[in-house]
Amino acid sequence: MDTESLTSTPLHRGAEADLSLATIGPWKVIVKRRVRKEYRNPILDERIRHDRTISEASVIHEAKAAGARVPSIVGVDIENNAIVMTHLDGTVARECFDDMGKSEAQKLLRSIGEQIGLLHKAGIVHGDLTTSNVIVSPFGAPFIVDFGMSRRSVEPEDRGVDLHLLRRSIIASHRQNPSSMMNSMIRGYEKTTGKKVASSTWRKAREIARRGRYFAIR
Amino acid sequence: MMCLGIESTAHTFGASLVDSDDRIVTNVNSTYRPPPGVGIHPRKAAEHLATVADDIVKTALSTKEGSSIDPDVIAYAAGPGLGPCLRIGATVGRALSTYLKKPLVPVHHGVAHLDIAMSITKARDPLAVLVSGGHTSILVHVGKRWRVYGETQDITLGNLLDMFAREAKLPSPGGLSVSREATKGENLIKLPYTVKGNDVAYSGLLTAAATSLRRQGNLADLCFSLQETAFSMLSEAVERSLVQTRRSEVLLAGGVAASQRLRQMIGLVAEDHGASFHPVPIEYSGDCGAQIACSGRLAYESGITVRISDSFVTPRWRMDEVDVPWIPRA
Repeated sequence: MDTESLTSTPLHRGAEADLSLATIGPWKVIVKRRVRKEYRNPILDERIRHDRTISEASVIHEAKAAGARVPSIVGVDIENNAIVMTHLDGTVARECFDDMGKSEAQKLLRSIGEQIGLLHKAGIVHGDLTTSNVIVSPFGAPFIVDFGMSRRSVEPEDRGVDLHLLRRSIIASHRQNPSSMMNSMIRGYEKTTGKKVASSTWRKAREIARRGRYFAIR
Repeated sequence: MMCLGIESTAHTFGASLVDSDDRIVTNVNSTYRPPPGVGIHPRKAAEHLATVADDIVKTALSTKEGSSIDPDVIAYAAGPGLGPCLRIGATVGRALSTYLKKPLVPVHHGVAHLDIAMSITKARDPLAVLVSGGHTSILVHVGKRWRVYGETQDITLGNLLDMFAREAKLPSPGGLSVSREATKGENLIKLPYTVKGNDVAYSGLLTAAATSLRRQGNLADLCFSLQETAFSMLSEAVERSLVQTRRSEVLLAGGVAASQRLRQMIGLVAEDHGASFHPVPIEYSGDCGAQIACSGRLAYESGITVRISDSFVTPRWRMDEVDVPWIPRA
């Protein structure tokens, strides 16, 4: 589809894409356009933007089929490395955690865990799971967004990366106790993946964390 | 107040004096260079450090006119690094501290890279990018400590460049040799590009580049492609971290910060997101005594000292395990 003919208003500048808001018929849609990065070699840049646009669109479709709460794809503009998807009303989880009480935050994390579990069960890993990539609807239901780095994988390693990244984003950006937050997340995750996958993924996530530089062998 | 800093974590023995106004009064260093095609052997590096230590410290404690200066505080690099090398600097530090009856301050080498970069470039509370042979991390300061926002999951950027240079029989330091070759390259060869969230992984890239080299790949093109791919991966992770942490300053420190291409790329990322860019001056990017003196002074002023009997070295020591109460800087 051609996104250049759409009238859109800029909404947000992300790290790798610009988001803008447009209307198609009765629907409010988001146009996610991967923009050229000045710092990157042009050939490398084009390859990365093209590959990720296609992969993101198809993964979102699959996630939807698996029953996860994700946006719906309206169209893809391959020429302009853009994806058009339905607009989600809500708040970014990163923004709302710090205003929440402990039990409310735990409830939200359990629910986020369930969604991640649904993705993993369907063989999808997100690849950039942080509290910035979760949108909480006005009714408190979390939607997972930004599948730009996601891939199809059933490897414990890749699933572990997801939980590791989420854990680190909680440690780095939020003041709540990270281990109790992660426990709630794991309980929700276990609900959709089952005990076996949950425990192997969590073990892997902790292993990945220790892979960082200069962890003492204790 | 004069703080003497002693660096000896890997290939460099350095001694430097920093005064209470954060001015670098002296900075004397000697670096062990292995022959091309060979890496740093910890024992051989340590032997070099032990041989030069005496003269370096003497020179660092002398004024231009030749009179000697007594330091008020002795700081030594307590880790992370190569055990045999760390012990040389620690021994010198303990000896001076005992003889001069001055307090001893343990310094984390990575924290010190950031401290000297922040002092010279006047950064207050930046998103810090530390790239060297020992570190490849993206950090933000929260509470009392640096928190790792992204890092390498396997080898560092410095390792990658050094090991590839070694494979290609290019002279040490590898980063400089690779960048020299890269200026002659123009064809971008497809190499693995691995970014996992805010983390990067370089080992697949090294294997692919080394394999291509053994299959008679063009060296200049390979160096060019290796740099472009490796630096783009890091820049992407930095960009993502910058958007998430919303810092208004980007600091670039560590030995690989001397790379012009990397400075250009990280600078563009900062500019693109309205952040000011603070790259460490090239002469203070690599390991040096001044970084330890600079960090040691800040630590001492925050009340951090160590008794001789507790002055261990810590070969493995993470950035996020050290209290750094002096950030944000005034």
